[in-house]
Amino acid sequence: MTPFFRGHGKRSDLARRLISLEMSDVIEEKIKNYRTAPFDARFPNTNQTRNCFQNYLDFHRCNKALSAKDQDVAPCDWYQRVYKSLCPLSWVAKWDDQIEAGSFPGKI
Amino acid sequence: MAHQAHAYHMVDPSPWPLTGAIAALLLTSGTAIWFHFHSLVLVTAGMILLILTMIQWWRDIIREGTFQGHHTPPVQKGLRYGMILFITSEVFFFLGFFWAFYHSSLAPTPELGGCWPPTGIITLDPFEVPLLNTAVLLASGVTVTWAHHSIMEGERKQAIQSLTLTILLGFYFTFLQAMEYYEAPFTIADGVYGSTFFVATGFHGLHVIIGSTFLAVCLLRQIQYHFTSQHHFGFEAAAWYWHFVDVVWLFLYVSIYWWGS
Repeated sequence: MTPFFRGHGKRSDLARRLISLEMSDVIEEKIKNYRTAPFDARFPNTNQTRNCFQNYLDFHRCNKALSAKDQDVAPCDWYQRVYKSLCPLSWVAKWDDQIEAGSFPGKI
Repeated sequence: MAHQAHAYHMVDPSPWPLTGAIAALLLTSGTAIWFHFHSLVLVTAGMILLILTMIQWWRDIIREGTFQGHHTPPVQKGLRYGMILFITSEVFFFLGFFWAFYHSSLAPTPELGGCWPPTGIITLDPFEVPLLNTAVLLASGVTVTWAHHSIMEGERKQAIQSLTLTILLGFYFTFLQAMEYYEAPFTIADGVYGSTFFVATGFHGLHVIIGSTFLAVCLLRQIQYHFTSQHHFGFEAAAWYWHFVDVVWLFLYVSIYWWGS
């Protein structure tokens, strides 16, 4: 979906080709420039547990939702980047094992 | 012969504070012994001594007030302050358990699935037995007020009827709650949900039983002509305690049963 330039004349075609803002391009751009998890205003406090857990959940929910619609799951990588930056490795390992065993308590 | 020149009650020496303290020691140490060495001897002795202390101490208070006339207006005022302070301390006791409930339920941890109720917990429907329990306790609040007015108006028969009805409603609540405990799909061991649910509602249930007992004693006293239309503080104290128990239930119902589901 290309926003901003509606219409089908020669000028808008040109504009669309010059400034094409596909969602996957945006995500690709953000992931290419990724250094660490950015500030998330939803989790402003020192305790970042929920930030880690939410991104872990969102990654799996994103995968599940996009796969169900047979779409590319590349945008989900953002969430994986964030939770891999934030979460203790032991938590991720434990949750991955729980998902495999079918005992993960979160709603995915 | 010397007479007291004041309206206060200088109580005669009594062994019950000492036996009460010994009972407290036996109950606490007995519980620890039970946990570690599986013996119920001390805690049983403590329970027996506690019950004997309560019966005899309160019996003595009834003798001093009702039969010997020591409960003058200033003395009664002191008893009123005492009951109000005691109920206030009980409010703080329950506040702690509500704090614990809200601490765990407002920010549920990943171990619970990040949600409340936690993953896997099947909660009780708040609009079934818990709602009936709410109606039962509210009704008992009405009947205890009816009983109070009956006593104040000198209506002996009505006072006995309404007080009996109040106690029956109390028993009905206890019976319904016992059934709920038996049928519940979760136990006290089921994570923090089970802990907060059963500790908070359990202590409440204990207070319902205590309140019902207090009211039952008042019923026996009313039948035996202890209360006058002007002076019936024992009954008033029981009624205050009963209203307190009702209010705690309302908070439990709204917080744990309704919001917490």
